[in-house]
Amino acid sequence: MQSQKHLQLTLAIIKPHVVKSPFVLQKIRDLIIDNNLKIVRSHRTIITHKEAELFYEEHKEKFFYNRLLTFMCSGPSDIHILTDHNAIVKWRQLMGPTKVYQAQYIAPDTIRGMYGLSDTRNATHGSDSVASAEREINIFFSDFNIKKWYEHDEKYYNLGQIHFDPIAFLHTIDTNFVNTNKEQITK
Amino acid sequence: MLNTIKTSLRRSVQQPSRIVQLNKIENKTPVSKPLPVFRYSISDEKDNRVYVWGLADHGALGTLKTTLFDKGISYIPKPKRLIFGEKHDVTNITCGYGFTAFAVRSKDKNILYGSGINTDSQLGFNEMDKKFPNGLVTEPRPINLPVKDSSTKVLDMAAGRAHLLVLTNEGLFTLGNNAYGQCGRPIIPNENYEKSRVIHHIPNIKEKKIKAITAGQDHSVLLTESGEVYTFGWGADGQTGLAHYRNEYRPSLVKGDLAGQHIIKIACVADCVLALSDKGTVFGWGNSEYAQLFVEGENQQVNIATELSALKQLGHIVDIASGGCFCMVLNNIGDVYVWGYGILGLGPEVKKVSQPTKIPSVLFGNNAYQKNTKVVKIFCGMSHLAALTNMGDLYMWGCNKFGSLGLGDLKDQYFPLKVTVGAQVKKVACGIDHTVALCKPFI
Repeated sequence: MQSQKHLQLTLAIIKPHVVKSPFVLQKIRDLIIDNNLKIVRSHRTIITHKEAELFYEEHKEKFFYNRLLTFMCSGPSDIHILTDHNAIVKWRQLMGPTKVYQAQYIAPDTIRGMYGLSDTRNATHGSDSVASAEREINIFFSDFNIKKWYEHDEKYYNLGQIHFDPIAFLHTIDTNFVNTNKEQITK
Repeated sequence: MLNTIKTSLRRSVQQPSRIVQLNKIENKTPVSKPLPVFRYSISDEKDNRVYVWGLADHGALGTLKTTLFDKGISYIPKPKRLIFGEKHDVTNITCGYGFTAFAVRSKDKNILYGSGINTDSQLGFNEMDKKFPNGLVTEPRPINLPVKDSSTKVLDMAAGRAHLLVLTNEGLFTLGNNAYGQCGRPIIPNENYEKSRVIHHIPNIKEKKIKAITAGQDHSVLLTESGEVYTFGWGADGQTGLAHYRNEYRPSLVKGDLAGQHIIKIACVADCVLALSDKGTVFGWGNSEYAQLFVEGENQQVNIATELSALKQLGHIVDIASGGCFCMVLNNIGDVYVWGYGILGLGPEVKKVSQPTKIPSVLFGNNAYQKNTKVVKIFCGMSHLAALTNMGDLYMWGCNKFGSLGLGDLKDQYFPLKVTVGAQVKKVACGIDHTVALCKPFI
């Protein structure tokens, strides 16, 4: 087996106003796939007030805290765990600057520049570091064990031995490869 | 030689009189058949035309035909006459985020049509929608309002991110998303708005008749005949002006400087609200992150109506517009002033302007040859601006998202430029990334 660089995990949220706009949602999904990001987990949910409070802990003292919370809880969001060699930076580059009113001029080709509505309704979220990715994944995917994933699953994603399900919008490990790998081990 | 000239001159003088005589003779004889005269068809006084441009993919333009493509996105970069507008007697238009509603003069109860995003039932429930995939209504279809009388008319309309307000002479009807109470009914946690048949009815406010309505992205503003302003919906930026930052579903009287004022117009697209009084004074509340409300210090949210005294020097204000991060006013001389952030029409830069700054009137067609040309109405979307002159010309500028400026390309426009609309523009409705104009034919 070739030695490969480790994959990175990041948490992406497609915010409520995009989930309600099927055309924009599809465009963002296409962007994720075209940029070779793999989707490890996918989950559509209405974020609860508790989850949002935990999630935005760092902004607690900011003037926009209440605005951010009420917005994030206003409707269903799509929450994804994405992976790639440089997933955190890659996804943040696709998203563009946080403030939409500025992004539409300084980065018009990014997700926020094109599909953001306002500085709060800014289309997407992405973790800003490995540590915050870990923290954020734990909030929304409590059953997801990052350590275990690196031990058992990472290699399949790294080698591209995965299958894409466009309806669930999820990459799953291709069972054929799992079987052949097991055979090799037993041999 | 001289003689010949004289005779010819005499003839030429004589000849016309002969022709006249001939004519006289002809006129005396009774004409049995009138001569066929060609006439251009002249439009009826009530005739309206609808032009659309901008992003087409979500269906808000009411047509997916003859669109251009850029990066897999279909759009119409210049005004396109909508066939729907020819078949129906359209009287009013409004644009939300990715959807458009058309008010129609009709003998039956079909007085409202809509097209575009319908994932929150902002265009109501209709059996016909099965043929449209993904909750996108790509051509205008009726929105069934529960009106009693078939003579009911639509008086005013307003649309937000995912809700629609329709004022009729039977009162106000609200449709769509109510996550913040922006439809004026109690908020139901985790309510499913898809294929919802819920239409809320607000007959009046404390026995006062509603005169006009305006919608922010997630809140609603009502103006009564007595000039009072009531709001409901999202208040996190203070955009409801109720002295708090909570959601409010009950239409509530705006607090602050509006007391005793007679308000005649409200302008709002996103989260910053402007109100105009009959005395030509402007008040504002809501989001002020780009200094739209002239507040000093770190306060970027204003939760009560505040008089904008910085506008006092501009004279009597007659029209107002408030976008996502900027504001625009028009005074009675026809001068347009802008402030805030973005492409405001003040030159080739994206910039922050802290004081109201005049856009030279020559840019709106006022020059030595057309001294009487002046701006009479102003409009804006989230980041695009529009002005209408007394000649019926439309000027647009700002961020050109998906061709929503109607100038034929996708480049941002740094100063007002005339849009080629084949009719006299009466009203413009700016959405987020599309624009619809209601026009009168030239002849």
